[in-house]
Amino acid sequence: MSDCTDIRNRLNLYLDNELQGDERVDFESHLRECNSCKAMANAEQRFLDGVRAVEPLYVASPELKQRVSTALRFQSHNTTNASRPKNTRAVATIAAAAVLLLLLPILIWRARERDPQSLGASSFALMAADTHLRHIRGQLPLEMVSTEPRDVSQWFVNKVSFSVKIPNYQEAPGLEKLYTMEGARLVAYKNDYAAYVAYRMNNQPISLVITSDNVAQTSGGEEIKAKGLLFHYNAIEGLKVLTWSDRGLTYALVSDLEERGQKSCVVCHQDIKEQDFIAPLKPR
Amino acid sequence: MPTPAFNEEALTHIDALFGYAMTLTRDRTEAEDLVQETYVRGARAANQLAAESNLKAWLFVVMRNAWLNQLRRQNNGPRFVGLEDEESFDPAFPSEESTNPQVVYLRKVERTQILLALESLPTQYREVVVLRDIEGLSYQQIASVLDCPAGTVMSRLARAREKLRTLLNAREGRTRLKAV
Repeated sequence: MSDCTDIRNRLNLYLDNELQGDERVDFESHLRECNSCKAMANAEQRFLDGVRAVEPLYVASPELKQRVSTALRFQSHNTTNASRPKNTRAVATIAAAAVLLLLLPILIWRARERDPQSLGASSFALMAADTHLRHIRGQLPLEMVSTEPRDVSQWFVNKVSFSVKIPNYQEAPGLEKLYTMEGARLVAYKNDYAAYVAYRMNNQPISLVITSDNVAQTSGGEEIKAKGLLFHYNAIEGLKVLTWSDRGLTYALVSDLEERGQKSCVVCHQDIKEQDFIAPLKPR
Repeated sequence: MPTPAFNEEALTHIDALFGYAMTLTRDRTEAEDLVQETYVRGARAANQLAAESNLKAWLFVVMRNAWLNQLRRQNNGPRFVGLEDEESFDPAFPSEESTNPQVVYLRKVERTQILLALESLPTQYREVVVLRDIEGLSYQQIASVLDCPAGTVMSRLARAREKLRTLLNAREGRTRLKAV
């Protein structure tokens, strides 16, 4: 038989279901015999019931639930793609046949497709186009809303593994702002986060996606050299996608503006002196 | 690879994870970011989760590690409030004098009073109360989340509850004074 001091020292363990077997039997036997300890146990149980009654402490907002749900779907998609090479290696013969079967409809579609720029788009360009579409459909809400480039740059600090510096508006006196920043969010890409910034120009959406060039390399589509940079232009699902790498970062600019969507470049290069930067991107 | 079943079950714990994230960060925006980070990390590591594992407890471990990593990146160090020497603490039950009026009080106390008292606890106390009394984790599961021995969980929990009682007593005293 345990004494009262021992019982009181182990009361939390008992009430938290951490006492098992003989220890628990012994404990309950004491409570049946000792009114003082029984009263104390009942009092403590009521105290804990009071604390536990506040559950749940907080409720996640519908926006957070949507955000997480989207991130999980994206994660599943990316992980599936990432795991494909391992599976292919393990069952090479079967996989080769399966891949041919899987690719057949795509190859037929590509043969019919008359837009050569859509061929060979990098996964980053495809992700950027998909992100743009999902955002304008309302499936990818912004996580921060601001028209201030400085606020958006600051928001990305400690959220992405690279530095994001969004240029300020370069407004000419007497002229209207050519575009407006709407806000930003994170998007999952290759087991990392990429920075997503949404703009609008003449009420048309423009998306800028940024990641480290360690994570994404540009390739495919039509190659255009301008100002010492190599741009890749792809038309993907009717969208104009420009991708390029510069100083450790890889960018994708998505819009449905005319020609190659080169006007979307003004979100960072509005200055008139930089128009010669944009000019080579126009179709010849 | 995270399966749809994993995603579905994991999402049922989002309120609990958000509550724990609020406990750690005390900031809604940071907490929401931490919840998302937790799910993304959890989905990546889903294949490491043994079939018999408790998903909720495992997600708490993922969340705490993600939070600690964030703090390390910020070079701020964990924002824990220093506690007394936990290992030397004897988790004795509080004296009867301090308990009985408390019990009477707790029958009447409103949810907001308890929430305010919980808010007032130092983070290390608050998280152990949240994990045990709000989320129902066992001592061993809490030990895994906090990466400490189960004995430390026991002593810290006893201290945390004692502190909670003291805070509730103080609040009760103030309420009585106002009523007078």
